[in-house]
Amino acid sequence: MKGAPDRRPPIADDGDELHFCTTCAFSSACLSSGYNKSHLRELHVLVEHVGPFREGEHIFREGDPFNVIAAVRAGTVKTYVTDAEGREQVQGFFLPGEVIGLSAISQAKYPCNAVALESVQLCRFSFPNISALAARMPGLQQRLFSLLSEDINKASLLSGNFTADERMAAFLISLSRRYAARGFSPNRFIVAMTRTDIANYLRLASETVSRVFRRFQDEGFLHVDRRDIELLQKDKLEALARSVLRE
Amino acid sequence: MTAFFEFDGDLVRKYDKPGPRYTSYPTAPQFGGEFNEAMLREHIRRSNAEPIPRQLSLYLHIPYCFSPCFYCGCNRIITRDVTKGRTYVERLVREIEFMGALFDRDREVIQLHMGGGTPNFLRPPELEELLESVRHHFHVSASPDRDFSIEIDPRFIEPGDIAAYAKLGFNRASLGVQDFDPDVQQAVNRIQSVEQTLAVIDACREHGFRSINVDLIYGLPKQTLAGFERTLDTVLATRPDRLAVYSYAHLPEIFKPQRHIDASTLPTPETKLALLQLAIEKLAGAGYEYIGMDHFALPQDPLARAQASGTLQRNFMGYTTHANCDLVGLGVSAISHIGDSFSQNARDLPTWEAALDSGALPLWRGRHLDQDDILRADLIQQLMCLGRIDIAALERRHGIEFTTYFADDLRRLAPLVEEGLVTVDGDSISATSRGRLLLRIIAMCFDRYLNDNLPGNAPRFSKAI
Repeated sequence: MKGAPDRRPPIADDGDELHFCTTCAFSSACLSSGYNKSHLRELHVLVEHVGPFREGEHIFREGDPFNVIAAVRAGTVKTYVTDAEGREQVQGFFLPGEVIGLSAISQAKYPCNAVALESVQLCRFSFPNISALAARMPGLQQRLFSLLSEDINKASLLSGNFTADERMAAFLISLSRRYAARGFSPNRFIVAMTRTDIANYLRLASETVSRVFRRFQDEGFLHVDRRDIELLQKDKLEALARSVLRE
Repeated sequence: MTAFFEFDGDLVRKYDKPGPRYTSYPTAPQFGGEFNEAMLREHIRRSNAEPIPRQLSLYLHIPYCFSPCFYCGCNRIITRDVTKGRTYVERLVREIEFMGALFDRDREVIQLHMGGGTPNFLRPPELEELLESVRHHFHVSASPDRDFSIEIDPRFIEPGDIAAYAKLGFNRASLGVQDFDPDVQQAVNRIQSVEQTLAVIDACREHGFRSINVDLIYGLPKQTLAGFERTLDTVLATRPDRLAVYSYAHLPEIFKPQRHIDASTLPTPETKLALLQLAIEKLAGAGYEYIGMDHFALPQDPLARAQASGTLQRNFMGYTTHANCDLVGLGVSAISHIGDSFSQNARDLPTWEAALDSGALPLWRGRHLDQDDILRADLIQQLMCLGRIDIAALERRHGIEFTTYFADDLRRLAPLVEEGLVTVDGDSISATSRGRLLLRIIAMCFDRYLNDNLPGNAPRFSKAI
């Protein structure tokens, strides 16, 4: 018997002492400034691969002292806060190549919880070290600023008065683009989040999330097989998503 | 006709060897005691969390029978004491309540099947109590294609029972007949007249049941070609929508009731084959389609249509049109298939009762499916339902390269290809008209647990035909 089949996106474990992982959030910024990985090592910027975190395991919790940011190498991470009534509010989902912990930069503590939704591998950076490095590398500094602003924009995307269909379409198109940006298939991906998480994030009821998925499937926009989503008519979803994504 | 087959006695004889029936993959002997309640709850939680959670199919097992049929290999309890039904229903209601609470409310029950044993051991008010409980603790679909089916022993149906079942929402019935030949009936301890059987079929039709299935068995003691032909003629005259023609497997060392059968009265292997051939020819002549394994249906029946459209499924209840349901088995010995797991309830009544009385799920054993199990289950499902394996679809769905992944399996398949049971090309593996009756022999080539030498890998199965 051959090894078991694996339907998840490949783990970006192709980095080594000298080469960046293909999903690295910073490699292009570093390389364009003339730094390869061995240079970074000389500068004592620890790029530390950690994990796997198991499903349900916390990476950091609200109030923990902030000293590292981390890029997701594999898996999906959810960030959330708990409100005064003890209800969870999902803030966002982080895919391979995306950076968690950025929202902590302005404070000395993490302002939210981060939990692994499936087996997760991270690449961890000491924040003081990477900011020191950024001071010497304009490309890296720019990259950090743009990651920060993406993070802020992401949070405000869904605050408008949008229909359930528009929210769901925007969510799917966003996932598709983010996977595509890291070299994964834009048309077929596994959603690691539960429908309750998706519903919470989109401010919908979880029954509504399923109803809209089913309707999109009936219309031929996509095909759902358990957690495996295939986008069949992305143009239709993009049209629906346009108002949310402000295009 | 979409499904056709050819009867080849020599081939059938040659491949008549023990093998699983693949109502599940992995098969029940692979279920283990390490599968516990926490794992089952986790599988249910995950199944609730899917983007489009599956609909539910409920199976309710009623273990009691009034009298022992000697051929039976089912898990059942013989009693004339109808008060036992009362206490069983009380506990079954508790199990319905426990399980119902674990599923999200928007998960519709699209299929409900009552099997046994003899479901009509229970009187209509008890059945009503069970269905009321199901409606209270689950979200029962209001869709017109909802299937509520019940297995009926016509010998114990009283006037008004069928009308009561219809009122409870049952719209499919499955009747045990086996054989009308009086000598056979006496030898298997099941005396059932043609009249009482036809009266039940008529009553079902009168009360709007949309489908009737009749079970027959070949290979029973004292069975003759002439007698079985009369039975087939009588049954076919009523045009049941579906027919199952099961092979009797004489395994008295495993199934105690069979010890009452005098082995010297069993038909010879030649006669048994001729009985099968007779049934197949009669059914084909009467316009029935072969669905697979032991099952036949009229062309307009949803099973035949599902087979034609490629949506046919197979599970513990046999073939079904309700694809992709999570199957929730309730009652003693019942099997569930939820998410990527199989699980089975305690097989003996005292253990099942004690678990429910202590507030625990009455789980006995189960199995978490890994990616390889899921892939092979998909492959075997296609083979058993459609007689064909779509290679590209499997590669796409599971992210494998077929000929590499299944290199060993294809080597095992090669003799069957040579024998003309199966053809292999770049796109598909298909059972030929000669191989259609031997689907499980083909499936066995892809069963990892039969072929890897794993410990505890010597399950006993009945023969293929």
